[in-house]
Order: sequence, then C-alpha cells, then structure tokens
Amino acid sequence: MFHFYHVSKTGSERVNDADICFIQCSVHFITLKKLNRLAHMRLKKGRDQTHEAKQRVDVLHLQLQNLLYEVMHLQKEISKCLEFKSQHEEIELVSEEEFFQEAPAEISRPHVTRDDNHQLTLARLDWELEQRKRLAEQYKMSLARKEKIQKAIEQKREYLSSLQPGLQNIMQASLPVQEYLSMPFEQMQKQAEVARHLPPPLYVLLVQAAAYGQACDKTLSVNISGDVDEAKALSRRPEDSQEDESDSDAEEEQQNTKRRRATVGVQLEDKRKAMLRRHPLSLCVDLKCKDGSVLHLFFYYLMNLNILTVKTKVSTATDLSGAVSAGELLNSESLLNCLYASDHGKETPNPANRYQFDKVGITTFADYVSDLGHPYVWVQKLGGLQFSSDGAQVCLRGSALSASHMEKTMKLLRGRLQARLALHKQFSSLEHSIIPVSSECQHLFPAKVVSGLTRWTMMSYQEFTHVLKAGLVCETDLFFMAVVERGTARLLAAVVLNPRYPEVMPLFSLSLHWKGERSGRTEDNLRAMESEVNVFRAELQGPRPGLQLLTNQIQRLCVCLDVYLETESQVCDGSEGPREFPREKMCLRTARGPSRLKPFKYNHPQGFFSHR
Amino acid sequence: MFISLQLLHMSVFSQSFSPCGRFLAAGNNYGEIAVFSLSAALSPDASEASQKPILNFTAHDGPVFSLLSTDTHLLSAGNGEISAWSWAELIKKVRISCSVNDNSLIVGGGDNNIHIMDMETGIFKSVLKGHTDYIHCLCFKEREEEILSGGEDGAVRIWDARTNRPVHCIEVFKYEECARPQFGKWISCLATDSDWMLCGGGPSLSLWHLRSMSPTSVFPLPGCQREAVFYQDLIMSVGEGPHVSHCLHGGTVKAQIPCTPSSLNTLALNLKNSEHRVMTVGGSSHQIDVFTNFSYRAFSLSF
Repeated sequence: MFHFYHVSKTGSERVNDADICFIQCSVHFITLKKLNRLAHMRLKKGRDQTHEAKQRVDVLHLQLQNLLYEVMHLQKEISKCLEFKSQHEEIELVSEEEFFQEAPAEISRPHVTRDDNHQLTLARLDWELEQRKRLAEQYKMSLARKEKIQKAIEQKREYLSSLQPGLQNIMQASLPVQEYLSMPFEQMQKQAEVARHLPPPLYVLLVQAAAYGQACDKTLSVNISGDVDEAKALSRRPEDSQEDESDSDAEEEQQNTKRRRATVGVQLEDKRKAMLRRHPLSLCVDLKCKDGSVLHLFFYYLMNLNILTVKTKVSTATDLSGAVSAGELLNSESLLNCLYASDHGKETPNPANRYQFDKVGITTFADYVSDLGHPYVWVQKLGGLQFSSDGAQVCLRGSALSASHMEKTMKLLRGRLQARLALHKQFSSLEHSIIPVSSECQHLFPAKVVSGLTRWTMMSYQEFTHVLKAGLVCETDLFFMAVVERGTARLLAAVVLNPRYPEVMPLFSLSLHWKGERSGRTEDNLRAMESEVNVFRAELQGPRPGLQLLTNQIQRLCVCLDVYLETESQVCDGSEGPREFPREKMCLRTARGPSRLKPFKYNHPQGFFSHR
Repeated sequence: MFISLQLLHMSVFSQSFSPCGRFLAAGNNYGEIAVFSLSAALSPDASEASQKPILNFTAHDGPVFSLLSTDTHLLSAGNGEISAWSWAELIKKVRISCSVNDNSLIVGGGDNNIHIMDMETGIFKSVLKGHTDYIHCLCFKEREEEILSGGEDGAVRIWDARTNRPVHCIEVFKYEECARPQFGKWISCLATDSDWMLCGGGPSLSLWHLRSMSPTSVFPLPGCQREAVFYQDLIMSVGEGPHVSHCLHGGTVKAQIPCTPSSLNTLALNLKNSEHRVMTVGGSSHQIDVFTNFSYRAFSLSF
C-alpha cells in the first residue's frame, strides 16, 4: 500500500508502472480478501468446533448434575426410610417366648420366623391383630349382655315401685296395731329420718340417750323438735351458703354504706346474733319420776360456738303451792346448778369462743344464758364434746365420752329433781312450823321434844356473808333462816343449802337469844350444837336417798336446844326461884371436859343423853 | 379455800412438848393426835406446809383430853383408856404403842378417885379416895412429894404421895372472895409453885398461900379459866374468851393477848429447849397459836 502510495505519488511519472501497480494492488486486494475470507472461515470453524465441544461438555455436565441430584434424592429417601418409625413399634407386643407358645402355627411359622427378624415381627403383628379381633368380639358380647341385664333391673325396679303405695297403705293400717302393742316403729322411723339432719353433738346425744333409755331406764324418752326444713337447708349447702353469706354480707354492707350509715351498734348486734345462732333442731329429753313429776330438758346446739346448752322445765303431777321459801328451788334457771361440783353453767366451756366473742364485743356469756340455755360441762360431755384441758384424763371422744357419762348424769338429774321436790314439800310443812320427821328416822330423837320451829324464811346472800367464813359459802347456794323457840329462849339458825343437796350437807350457824346473846362463834356449847347438827351425816341422812337430811337436822337442833336449856346450871342473879326449864332429859353427866360441854348425843333406845 | 366441816368443828384439848423440845403433840376432840415439828415451823424459811402436822393419827375413840410427856414417851388419855406412844417412833413418823419403864403415873379419873400406877409394870399401886365428883386436874409438888387434885365437887385436896393419905381439903367455893355461884363450884385448873397454888374454874382464878391455906389474891378475869401456869414472876392463864391473860402475883391483870380460837382449852410452855422457847395455846378451833415472844401471837399451826 505504501508502495502504491509511494508509487502513486511518484506515479505520475510512470503510468505504466501504475497499471502494473494497479494490477498488483488488485491482486493484492484479492489475495487479502481471500485471506480475510479464509481467516473468517477458519475462525468460524474454530468457533463451531469449540461450540460443539462445549455442547458435549454441557450435556455431560447436565448428566452429571442429574445423577448427583438423583443421588441426593436417593440419599434423602434412604435416610427417611431409615428414620421411619413404624407404628408397629408402638404396639406392645407379647414377648417372643409367649408368642411362640401361644400363637397357632400358621401365624407364628417358626421355621421361617426364627431366622428372619422381619418375618418374626410380621408374625407377631399378625398374632396381635388376631388377639385384638377376638377381644373386640368378646367386648361386643359383654356389652350386649349388660344391656340385657340393665333391662331386667329396670323391670324389677318398676315392679318394686309399684309396690310402694301398697306398702304405705299397710303401714297406715298397722298404726293402731303398733300403738296397741307399744312398739312405735313408725315413730322411730320418722325420728330416724329427722335425726339425719341433726348436728353431730345432738345426734350423739340422741343416740346415747335413746340407747340408755331402752336399756336401763324405761322412764326416759327423747324427742326431736324444731324446724326440719331449715335444718335441711342448712345441711344441703354448707359451703356454698357460707360463701354466699359472706358475699352477700359484703354486698349488703356496701349497699348499706351507700344508702345510709347503719349504726355500728346495729351491725355489731347483727354479728352477735349471727354468732349466737342456734341450730333449728333441738332435742327434748323427758325424765319421769315415780310420783308423776317430769323433768323436761331441752338441748340446743349453738352452731358457731360449737357448744350445747340446756333449758329445763319441771311439770309436777300435783300442784305445788304454798311454800313461799321454796320459790327458788324449782326455778328453771338454777335447778341444774352445780350438778357436778363447781359446774355453774355461766361461762362457755369452749376456750375458742373467747376469741370469737372478742371479735363481736361480747364480754360475758352469762348475759345470754337465760335466752340460750346453760352451757354446763356435763351437757357438752353428753354430746361427745370434750373441751377440758386436763391432759391426764383419758381422751374419749364422741360416743364413748357420751356413753361414759350418760348413766351418772341421768341418775344425778333424777336425784336432783327428787331432792328438790322433797324439799319443796318439806318447806311447805316447815313454814307451818311442823317438822316432818318420817317414821324411819324417829329413832334418832327422843319421844318428847319441847322446842318448836316457829319460823322458816329465805335469806339473801348479802345478809349471810357476815355470818360464816367466806370459804364455806358461795353465791350459788340457797340461804334460809330458821327460828326455834322454847319459853323465853330463841335460837336463830342460818342455814346454807348447797345446790348439790343432799350430797352436800346443809350448814347451820347458830345464835341464841336467852339472857343475853350468844353465838356459835363465841360459846363452846353452841359450837358443839353446831357440830352435832353439821357433822354427823351418816346418822342424820336417814334411809336412802337421804332426802330426810334437812328435816332431821332441824329436829336434832330442837332436841339439842332442849338439852342445852335444861342442863344450864341454876343461874339466877342470886335468886332461887323455880327453874324455867325443868330437867326432863336423862343425862349421865351434864358437863364434861375443860370446855364443859353438854351431853348432846341421844342414845336409842335407852333414851338418855351422853357426850360423844 | 374450802375448810372442811371437820376442821370447822375441831377443838384442841391438850398439848405436850417432846422431851427434846423440838416437837409438839396436840390432841383434839375427834381422838386424833397430831405431831408438829417446832424446829421446822420456827425456822426462818418456814412455809405453809411447815405449819401442818408431820404426823396425824387417831389415838382414841373419844376426845383426847390430856397429853403428858415423860422422858421417852407420850401418854394420852381418852375415854377410859391411857395409851403410851414412844416419842422416838413418833418423830420418825411411825406410831407404835408400847409399854414404858419409868416411875409412877398419877391418874385422876372419872370415877372420883386418883389412881397411882407403876409405869414399869402397868399395875395400879394405890387409890386415893376422897372426892365426891370426878376429878378435873392434878398437879404434883416435888419438894414435899404432895399431890394436889381439883374436881367437879369444888374441893382441892392435898395428898401425901408417900403415905397416900389426904392432908388437906380446901373447898374454894366456900370462900366469899373467890366464889362465883353463877358459874358453879368446879375447879378446872390447878398449878403449884412451891408455896403457892393457883386454882380456878367456876370460882375466880385465885392465888393461894399453901402454908396458911388462904387466898392471897383473886384475879378479876371474866370467864372460867381452864389452865394456868406459873412462869417466872407472871401467871398465865387461858379459858373462856379468845385471849391469854398475863397476871401478876398481886392480883392485877397485866395484859390480855388476843388469839385465834374463840375460847382456849390448853396452854403449854416449852421450857426444855432454849432454842424453841415458845408458848402454844389451843382451844375451840383447828388452829394452835404459837407465841415466840409471849406478848403477841407469831403464827398458827393447823391440823
């Protein structure tokens, strides 16, 4: 090209040369094109070859990928298969030994399964299936049988309930027969029905009292009185009702404070009433005595305080009247005081109640006693409630405790009633100045007793406190004044009667008004008279049960006054007149000992007086 | 505190101190004898319990009217019988009645006679008759060996112990200054101190000079005296009324010390033991008052 250029530049000179050059150039151009063409074709071929090889490689690559993918897939499958937990493993199969023993041959195929675990498992599964099918069939059969039996039961039940009206009729018809034979089954059944709703202590009391009545004491009878429906309501929802109550209380309180300010006192009063609530059912125990009088005991249960209380009533066959001083004897408030020593029934025996009372501001339970009844300790024991903190005692509970106290308490109750009735009679006669001495006790006294009782009245505790030392009397005792007279001599006797008469002797304290005043505190002979009357219980109590004690004591007092006055030495301030009290009693010796005591002891049947 | 009925109606009739002077025996109307330990009761740390008897036993059926201590034994007299108890055993809280071996015991009885018993053999040696009614009290004059006895018949008789014959007889109620007809003529207490004699009872308590057989002073004590003793230059007597009377020989009443029982039956002085020199009185109460200083009551022992 350059040459051509060069040529061309220099070309003008040589035109021929230009043509040769031009032909050379064109040949060169054709060769160049051919070379270019060749180069292009070579390039193209090379490319094609490369392309082909590449394609071959790609195919192979793809195949490789496919295979790899398949491998991976297969691996996953394999791992899945390996992890696969067949349900059959969850089934508890019987152990192999049992299986081989029990399964029939076609299932167990031992010749195959012994070698092959897979077959063994299959066989076991088969066997399992077999067994389950059998059991399912059995189950179906049992169900069917059960249905049949149910139906039979239903039928029988219907039959029985159809009998019910018939039986009722028979029961009604048999009532007159029951009464005639005195076997009140119907009544007892009804009572048993109601008894189911009694609170536990009352139930224990009922059972024990009824048992005791049947076994030992025909004159004792027990009844239940009160509102059964309320009791049922109480027992039906004890917890719910409590919760409801507390909720409703809370609501009520809120409402109250919103509407009007209810006074604190009223709220407290309500709380107190709620605390002292009685169970709607109560027991009535009747003790009949031979002379026709009856002691009615009403037992109540205070639910929140968990104690029993008792109220009494006495009904007598004959009308008791006339004895003014006997007013306190049968007073229902004090009739059962101190049945056992120091059992006053004024305070609640349950120590837990103290805390409850503090919450509602009750200071003494004694205020409510007249309303609610007396919570004596023996009542709690009869109901099986044990509050005593005395650890030394055997700890009985419930029925055992009740049973152990029942007999003794009933006897004491009956004795108390009889003693009080006897005293009542005696008092009415004493008020008429007659000392009723029964014929069995006549031997204690001489035939002629000149001193006589002129007055018998009641006294109060305040008047009495100065007469005797405080350790001997207490507020629950009854106090009386007796006046015995003979001629100008008057003997005043202050009598202390313990509620537990006649177990505890009445105490006499004497003072004599005769030519001056002397009392048992100052004079030895009057003291000896007191001891004669107070100490010798075995002689004075008379035949059992010892109800003659008081009257015998008074009679002895009269006899002793006779002796005292008759044996008094000739006093007279110098005057020698006739004695006011001539000596009529026979005495061995009128004075003995340094204190010159008079002979107060009467000896029967010789009829003389001697010293002890 | 509940006082039982028995305690309420108990009376102490007699007392006696043990030979060593550390114990007191007291007899009551129920026939019981209680032995108290004086050393425990008088010690500085005495308590309620030390005022109770260390031993209490029933000696007789009837009241124990007199107790007497010899050197080894305690003699108690009840209704018709005399028992002897050994002090050594009593102190050990055991009671056995056994025989004694001492001199003679003079017993005044309800049969109006005085019996003298030989304590070794227990046989009655002699009887002194003369009283017309039963005998209340006896005392013995050692120097002249004379026995004095006073009785219900109002006479004080003096007997010679060696010859057992009556020497004198004084009828106290016949003397104007002593006689108290409103009470009676019985003599219930006698005490003698060589030449002097105290006697009292129905008639007023009076001091007599034995040589002249006449009363020298009469004590104006209101009630009947039941026991009187000579002590140093004082005369102490107890009787009706809740006090111990201190009197002088001249006839004046120096003091009247109040006591618990409402009337007193017995007075005893513990002179044998100088540590526990006390006076004890008992009467119509279950308590026995103890006087450490004779002018006031220190404390009471109780049955």
